[in-house]
Amino acid sequence: MRAYILRRLAQSVLVVWAVTTIMFFMFRVMPADPTAILLERGLSDEARLALMEEWGLTGSLWDQYVAYLGNIAQGDFGNSFFYRKPVWDVLFPLIVNTLWIAIPGLLMGAALGAAIGTAVGWAPRGGKLERSGIFLATVIRGVPNFVIGIALLTVFSSTLGWFPGFGMGDPGATTGFARYFTLDFLHHLALPLIAVTIYFLPENLLLMRSGVVENRTEDYIELVRAKGVPQRRVAWHAARNSMLPLITWLFPALAETIAGIVVIEIVFSWPGVGRELVLAVTRQDYPLAQAAFFLLAVMIVLANLAADLAYGKLDPRVVYK
Amino acid sequence: MTGHQTLGPAAATALGQLNERLAAKPAAHLQVSGLSIHYSTLRGPFNAVDNVSFEVAAGTNLGLVGESGCGKSTVVKALMGLLPEMTRVTGQALLDGQNILGLSDADLQDVRWNRISLITQSAMNSLDPVYCIGDQICEAILAHEPVGKTVAWARAEQMFALVGLPAERLREFPHQFSGGMRQRAVIAMALALNAGMLLADEPTTALDPIMQSQIMSRIRGIHDHMRRSMILVTHDIAVVAETCETVVVMYAGKVAESGPTQDVLDRPLHPYTMGLQNAFPRLPVRGQPRKPLISIPGTVPNLLLPPAGCRFAGRCPFATNLCRSVAPPTYQIGAQSAACHYVERASQFRVAAAEPDTWRSMEPSR
Repeated sequence: MRAYILRRLAQSVLVVWAVTTIMFFMFRVMPADPTAILLERGLSDEARLALMEEWGLTGSLWDQYVAYLGNIAQGDFGNSFFYRKPVWDVLFPLIVNTLWIAIPGLLMGAALGAAIGTAVGWAPRGGKLERSGIFLATVIRGVPNFVIGIALLTVFSSTLGWFPGFGMGDPGATTGFARYFTLDFLHHLALPLIAVTIYFLPENLLLMRSGVVENRTEDYIELVRAKGVPQRRVAWHAARNSMLPLITWLFPALAETIAGIVVIEIVFSWPGVGRELVLAVTRQDYPLAQAAFFLLAVMIVLANLAADLAYGKLDPRVVYK
Repeated sequence: MTGHQTLGPAAATALGQLNERLAAKPAAHLQVSGLSIHYSTLRGPFNAVDNVSFEVAAGTNLGLVGESGCGKSTVVKALMGLLPEMTRVTGQALLDGQNILGLSDADLQDVRWNRISLITQSAMNSLDPVYCIGDQICEAILAHEPVGKTVAWARAEQMFALVGLPAERLREFPHQFSGGMRQRAVIAMALALNAGMLLADEPTTALDPIMQSQIMSRIRGIHDHMRRSMILVTHDIAVVAETCETVVVMYAGKVAESGPTQDVLDRPLHPYTMGLQNAFPRLPVRGQPRKPLISIPGTVPNLLLPPAGCRFAGRCPFATNLCRSVAPPTYQIGAQSAACHYVERASQFRVAAAEPDTWRSMEPSR
């Protein structure tokens, strides 16, 4: 078990290194000038060169790459070109903001999706519940997620006025870490959270449904039925066995969420990391974008590892070698 | 059966009470009459079981024999209420006087495992892979008896001892068991509530011959010990001869012949029973030539388009035009009954059926 984790961690380092390298060169082959955004047109070449020097953009590409790797090995991801402060200072609060909608949204989407998926999968084939469940899941899945966001905004914010339409807090509200514990924050959190939940629901629902449909005809389900336990309990056996693929999907999905809910962050003007990532790329803010992608790579790799370990807990047949 | 050092005095008392309560259950009596089972398919109704009747007296074993696809397992599943929703089941199955056919899942909850339990056909796949065996046995006990998990687990340990499995293996998962061990675990589970009626649906089919004989003698030993009623589904006539007081021979969804096992095997009335006997190896008798194994040519007819007359006519070496056009009624001879137009010629048939040539001559006409 320990050998397995160590080997997986070593592989993870390799994957993260590969992603970092690809990112590094991709940004540098883009035909654009990162200094353009900060320097006024017509400024002298010396000033431009000085800035390039400061940002480490002079010298051969190889030298830059080696210097960059050396720096991140020491945990130094440099300063954001745009904000002119260390990238972590920029990224950290944004990541926290994103996690506030990502993790509860994903978990709620998974839990609700699994519950409805089980009910739909257990319902008689071709019946009303099955047909409407699949129809609903397919429709939600097909609708772009900004449409869900805009629909929520239109109904609950503009029309009914139940929830605020943008941002994380009213002007003048508590700031800093304490803000996360205010009612005002939760009030703002509600709509984007619902949007993320709806975004993740159909995938879980369909995955769970097909698992339950597959498992309900297995021999062991027949024996459970024969035991005379309540039908709910029989359905639970099918659901429990269908959870395995869901878990494999869930953990990596968590990491992908950070990037995937960009659109929801933009619709709700939620100051999250996804939104910032898009801005950083358009601003040619290499250090910020690279650090964000580095972080995503690390999260996805670790999430996959966590999924494999959780799988071993859920499925006694899995052995780590 | 003893040695629960970890069990507290209260739990030990509860276990004792549970065991007493379960041991007090009488063996069940089952009267099946006119049982018919239709599946609706896209090409019309499929008559899987047609007008089957038999009786299992309390504390006796009934063997249900026939080749694959003749409806034996379907009968068992119907008794447990395990058939798919679209199946039409008619007839009666009186379990101690109560009709258990057509009950809802909710009503069956008290019948299943409490009064009828099941030893499944494919023990390889009939255990849930993600729960340990002990939990799966306890699930059955806890569903029907007002005891705690500790007591249920102790009862499961006793059942494991009964089938010869070490108690600590209750914590293991199905994939850690061999085929024979899984079959024994399924038997332990079936015995957990000491149901009055035990349905054993080909309990040894998936096992090698040595394991088959071990499992069968285990089942017989337990049966002698507990005096339950049992329906044993099998295609092995030798197992029936050793285990069952009565036998029902099924062919293509109908009862071909039934009666006391001894009578049916000594003096079969139906050509299909004779054919079945020929197809199983017998111990050679000293001084006599070894009897050849003779298979019955052909296959079970398509039940979407059942033949007009006797369903066995197409494969029967003695069939006449009458057989091919009119379905035979059931004739009663002594304690035995058979659905054959020519039961009175059975003794002639028996002599002819022992000759391989009788059956071989059938083959070209198929």
